[in-house]
Amino acid sequence: MSNIYMPDLMEVVEVKQHTADVKSVKIRFKDAEKQKNFSFRVGQFGMYSLFGEGESTFNICSSSNWKDSIEFCFRKTGKVTDAFWRIDEGDTIGFRGPYGNSYPMEAWEGKNLIFIGGGIAMPPIRCAIWYALENRAKYGNITVVYGARTTRDLVFADELDQWAEYDRVRIIKCVDPGGDTPEWKGEVGLIPNVLAAANVAADNTAALVIGPPIMIKFTLPVLDKMGVSAPDIYTSLENRMKCGVGKCGRCNCGPVYVCKEGPIFTMEQLNALPADF
Amino acid sequence: MIEELRQTCRKLLEDGTVNVVIAYGQSDPEGPVYPIFVTKPDDAEKIVWNKQCFANLTTYLTRKEVKALGRIAVLVKGCDARSLVVLEQESQVDRAMVHVIGLACGGVGEPNPAGKCTVCEVHMPRGTDQIIGSVPETVSDSQDRYAAVEEFMKKSPEERLAFWKKEFERCVRCYACRGACPLCYCNQCIVDKNRPVAIDTSASLKGNFAWNITRAFHLAGRCVGCGECTRVCPAGIDLRLLNESLARSAERNFNYRAGMDPETPPVIGTYNAEDKENFIR
Amino acid sequence: MITQQALRALVDEWIGAGTKVAGPSYVKKDFCQYVPLASSAELLLEGFIHPRNSIKEFFFPRHEKIYEYALKGHEVELADMSPASTPQVIIAARPCDTAAVAILDAVFNWGDKDEFYTRRRDAATIVALACVQHDSQCFCTSVGLGPDAEKGADAMLLPMDGGFEVRCITDKGRALFAGRTQSSDKTAVIPEGPKVKMSPEQVRKALEDYENPLWKTATLRCLSCGACSFTCPTCHCFDIVDEGNAHGGCRAKNWDSCQLCMFTKHASGHNPRNVQGQRQRQRTQHKFRIYPDKFGEVLCTGCGNCARNCPVSLGVLGTLIELCAEMPESVGESK
Repeated sequence: MSNIYMPDLMEVVEVKQHTADVKSVKIRFKDAEKQKNFSFRVGQFGMYSLFGEGESTFNICSSSNWKDSIEFCFRKTGKVTDAFWRIDEGDTIGFRGPYGNSYPMEAWEGKNLIFIGGGIAMPPIRCAIWYALENRAKYGNITVVYGARTTRDLVFADELDQWAEYDRVRIIKCVDPGGDTPEWKGEVGLIPNVLAAANVAADNTAALVIGPPIMIKFTLPVLDKMGVSAPDIYTSLENRMKCGVGKCGRCNCGPVYVCKEGPIFTMEQLNALPADF
Repeated sequence: MIEELRQTCRKLLEDGTVNVVIAYGQSDPEGPVYPIFVTKPDDAEKIVWNKQCFANLTTYLTRKEVKALGRIAVLVKGCDARSLVVLEQESQVDRAMVHVIGLACGGVGEPNPAGKCTVCEVHMPRGTDQIIGSVPETVSDSQDRYAAVEEFMKKSPEERLAFWKKEFERCVRCYACRGACPLCYCNQCIVDKNRPVAIDTSASLKGNFAWNITRAFHLAGRCVGCGECTRVCPAGIDLRLLNESLARSAERNFNYRAGMDPETPPVIGTYNAEDKENFIR
Repeated sequence: MITQQALRALVDEWIGAGTKVAGPSYVKKDFCQYVPLASSAELLLEGFIHPRNSIKEFFFPRHEKIYEYALKGHEVELADMSPASTPQVIIAARPCDTAAVAILDAVFNWGDKDEFYTRRRDAATIVALACVQHDSQCFCTSVGLGPDAEKGADAMLLPMDGGFEVRCITDKGRALFAGRTQSSDKTAVIPEGPKVKMSPEQVRKALEDYENPLWKTATLRCLSCGACSFTCPTCHCFDIVDEGNAHGGCRAKNWDSCQLCMFTKHASGHNPRNVQGQRQRQRTQHKFRIYPDKFGEVLCTGCGNCARNCPVSLGVLGTLIELCAEMPESVGESK
């Protein structure tokens, strides 16, 4: 029978701790054939199982060009992520996916890209950045504004430095006031303010903004002032999900099922949705 | 009686004694009676009092959306007034903030009174700020309150287990029992906790036994027998029988009956040096 | 037509042949539900308006294992389930229940097919029982159905003198009754259904005001239980849980309700629908706006179970009438 709820078995290849409560995990299909044939588009998510605990929804945060494994990144928050915190290399977990829609990487070709994220929002942005860098010629200027509460809360901090090495890439790191250390060389301030002060040219631009609702709320007017309008601002929505395939009704928000028609939405689309997320 | 009731409620709203009256309404005379929240004096005309006024309105006193409405007046029958006593003893209701209107009640249910009414001793509610109406002559207090449980306990353990299996098989875990019960007010119910999972959420026999029995135990010594859980169960499970057996246990072993006397300390949560310890071996 | 006696004999034959047969029955005194039947003697064919539950549980059980897992050190073994494809007959289902199954087909087949549902569905033959009475909670006629609506039914029994008129609607229905009916020059006369109480178009218009303050007041008495959702023939939201121990267990699909406070609660503690009014709004929106927009069908068949089973008699109909009452007359008339 075709069981849409049945996960594939994955082997945990590597576990990396980023902060006091954030880890990223690299996994690979136990069935080598499946790994070879697996493909996804950046922005899509998966349902990751810890048998006996449950399933969690995480974005697939690796680039779709990387073929021998996929990655997810999570913050230790509840029952299932607590259990994910305890996994080790060699363990077996489950994976269902890829689900959802994806970033319009083709539509973004030729555009300048601005990536804005806060804290645990880096992983769903990271995959898009790597993808764009791996197809560098297709995209214009790339600006990344990424911040966290303190220097110890930055996720994928080492990759930020790697990205700065690429051509026409500008990385702006920031931490909240009071979150810096004497060695900190980045900005200090809240993301919307740091973005405003950065004077990024915003012609022919698409922006991806992911973060806590309050950060998004204050970043949007800055983008607007810069000249980036709602149809060109993208975000990835986070809703409680269970089935991931548009059946269980949980992620339903207004006329959309976030697992099927999302989680990637433009601000224009998001503004049309009821405030139910 | 209904006119006096409506006038009383109207006046309470008009002179600002309360912001809302929790009462019974019935928009369609052929339709059901249900709780209403009257905030405007003119709407006091919507209040009804008849044999279909089943709901225990005190369950709303612990809900945040209702508390946010301000000072409350609530209509109570005798059984409902008992749950109010327990709520107050458990510090869930500030009695001074609630105006309690007692309704003399000869029993609810048509054409026959509900099971709980045939063993009722509180036709005149106790502990209210006022009582409206009087009890018909034909109704008298009954003493046979554990008759149903006594009868049931005559069955063998196997028969009783078979009975409960058949009942709990139908449970769909809707938690209507929990919602209707005034004493189920935990901010996070045990069945909603997942670290650890104490009760399987599945509507399997295992999960259903665990849920219903745990709920009964959490009500041991607290349940006043208002019977709402049984009335609202969409699967027709005889929950009252379960609760009644524990109430009987509380009375037999500790001479305690929930909600009858605000001065008697609650049996759960009270330590008495004379408590028997013969169950510890 | 078919006499009651012959019908019951036919039901016993189905049961004897190993077909799972379910229909209305008195589970307790005066308490009727759709349940699996052990014999036709248990089958109720008259004297009831609507059973307290619906027939969705024969396609979408309240608790269903979706696979089993065994934990062996670092390794995990998964065992798939084979969902039931035992033939089943649902007999004497109300038209509001049979229509609901046809409406549910849309979501369970959307994109990925849920074979737990589709297999049971394919293996089932549904026989409706037309209604000769209704109560104050029925409103099938307000959602385009009626006491003898054929939607979702493979065959229909219409009560008449001497038994039932048998109307075969699909091939499955014809196969079921082939050679078992007798010709008759009489046909059943089905009385009119309930008066139309509102129109889905009017409701849709009323629902467009998402922030309508009525949601706060009209739903105050709601107790946040799942009685409406679980007895509703079209509600289908579910939860997925793991149940087991250190050695293994199963993952299961369980009925869930958007009315329960935990439904949208995030692990972080954030709950987009923190207040009951928001949850009631979601249910109504889902039924009368979201599902029709997506699948072209109103997710409600007017059976009235929600109101009948609700501890405080707050059904979808009552809420909608209040919503529509707030609207100017012209809106109702314009459609």
